Amino acid sequence: MRRTFGARVEDSTFELNLAPMLDIIVSIVPMLLMSIAFVHVTVVDTPVPQAVDKAMAAANDKKDQVQILLAVSKETGFRFTVNDKGQTHDVNVPLNGKDLDLVALHKQTIELKKQYPDVFRVELNPEEKVPLNEIVATMDSLRTIQGSEAKVTFHDVDSGKSIETNLVFPDVVFGNVAGG
Amino acid sequence: MARRGFKKYMDKRSPATFKIQITSMVDMFVILLVFLLKSYSTSPVQLSPGKDMTLPVSTSVKDPVDVLKLQVSKNAIFVEDKKIVDLKDGQVDVKDVDQNDTQFIRTLYTELDGQANKSRTIASKNEEVEFDGKVILQADRNLPYELLKKVMYTSMMAGYSDVKIAVLSKD
Repeated sequence: MRRTFGARVEDSTFELNLAPMLDIIVSIVPMLLMSIAFVHVTVVDTPVPQAVDKAMAAANDKKDQVQILLAVSKETGFRFTVNDKGQTHDVNVPLNGKDLDLVALHKQTIELKKQYPDVFRVELNPEEKVPLNEIVATMDSLRTIQGSEAKVTFHDVDSGKSIETNLVFPDVVFGNVAGG
Repeated sequence: MARRGFKKYMDKRSPATFKIQITSMVDMFVILLVFLLKSYSTSPVQLSPGKDMTLPVSTSVKDPVDVLKLQVSKNAIFVEDKKIVDLKDGQVDVKDVDQNDTQFIRTLYTELDGQANKSRTIASKNEEVEFDGKVILQADRNLPYELLKKVMYTSMMAGYSDVKIAVLSKD
């Protein structure tokens, strides 16, 4: 009896039945399309780790706490005003051309944090002409370190150990709203 | 002889029924499924800014919470999608502003105060609910701080002092 090669090959191959799999996918796709978020909306409120939270609470309890104010102006740029036990000094970050210099602001923020590692709050005082997107960008520069920058170190009030964090001044408040 | 020839012809011919080749279709659907799963939102609160509003972009990653929503577009101020104040070129009309305090938007205060009283009434009857004065502010990125200050000041007067600004995530 003669055996053909072609017949043997035909026996060993088979076709996968993909129809049930397709049924499942077709059912899932409309459900996912209904709940899809093409734009991810978040809120500006940086999450604070517990150790940082305690340090912030401890810092706010101190009566002789250092106060840092940041004025934002479209004409003159940024101006930090640091009130350290009654002594006040200003640090200016001028405009870069006609725009606010956010890179220079961030560098200055890191420098201030090195000087005052136990301060977590900055009072923001923007001028009336400053648009919201520039205020949010300013807040981002103040709150966290960017990219591969060295982390910020502070002392944990409970353990007394040094803790590294990517939060710089996480507690940014509008200082001139209540004033009317 | 002729019948045998016809049978051979029929065997060689493709059959009347055929199978659709769905492998490539399944491939396509799997790619689509992976994309949709990646952009699937797990946040319980969905914020959808209006069509004439562009939110500012931020590095913040915190998901919004289910609190009162305040929208400020170039044309109007809304509380929970209800238009409260009309704006002209991003400015509040004089009739809506208090004469003694130019930062105080009276019509907005009336609405927010009503919302705050409603929340306080619910909180007094249900121990699990607490009125914490939180509000999510969705505002157009180009609006000046002058207007936002008025809105924040008015909401603060109505008891909503914890203002959270809605932003588009950079991620």
